[in-house]
Amino acid sequence: MENGRIAVPSNGQGGLAGTRSGHFGHCDVFTFIDVENGEIKNVSTLQNQEHAQGGCMVPVNLLAEHRVNSLIVGGIGMRPLMGFRQVGIDVYHDAERPDIGPVVEDLISGKLPIIDDDQVCGGGGGDGTSLA
Amino acid sequence: MIQVLLVGADNNTFHDLESVLEDKHISSDRVESGHGALSMISDKTYALVITDETLPDMTGLEFAWKMVTVNPMINCTAISSLSAEDFHEASEGLGLLMQLPVRPEKQHAEALLQYLDNILNITNRSAVQKGDTP
Repeated sequence: MENGRIAVPSNGQGGLAGTRSGHFGHCDVFTFIDVENGEIKNVSTLQNQEHAQGGCMVPVNLLAEHRVNSLIVGGIGMRPLMGFRQVGIDVYHDAERPDIGPVVEDLISGKLPIIDDDQVCGGGGGDGTSLA
Repeated sequence: MIQVLLVGADNNTFHDLESVLEDKHISSDRVESGHGALSMISDKTYALVITDETLPDMTGLEFAWKMVTVNPMINCTAISSLSAEDFHEASEGLGLLMQLPVRPEKQHAEALLQYLDNILNITNRSAVQKGDTP
């Protein structure tokens, strides 16, 4: 990834040294990583919005409005995945590593896979998978 | 003005729902089959789709799965005789608003519309929020 904004659902205060939330719809904050010429230029966070059953499009709209290009999830449901695709946000998948930094580095260097349709999970916004 | 699409072949299923929608001056369309509904959501914007448990060409949940691939932005709710736990399991990832009982009554329609209003408000709030927090 040369340029763009990455979003990572995060626990607590978030940030590059923070940990990922396994349930993106219920995460505390989204950590934003702005990338320019393949390097991290800025890190910021955005408070997540209220999450209700059926409110899958809330984070989709939220991240689209904040010009996010790529999202890294541990798990996600079919409806929000389709929503992200519709608004042009690429969704990447890593269900193993809890730390934000390593998965962001892998995405930037092209090592993180785009999520497949058969990797979707439940919960109307992603379930817990193996992340904390 | 929101538009609602009712999907199902049994006229009795939607009697009370249609009555409440009419009372609230909410416009609704009706289609019997899942494929017919998929065609309609491609051509028209609906705020809510309500599907019966069984359609002539597929189940309601099969229709809901197909619908999210066509237009994930549309809110959907399904009539189902499953237990709450089984329904949750069967509909995981679909982001359905709620489960409606077989032959939903006016109180269920009122609750659904109130819930839809809440979801639309949250969605609109998130859609207009600007600026990052440091």
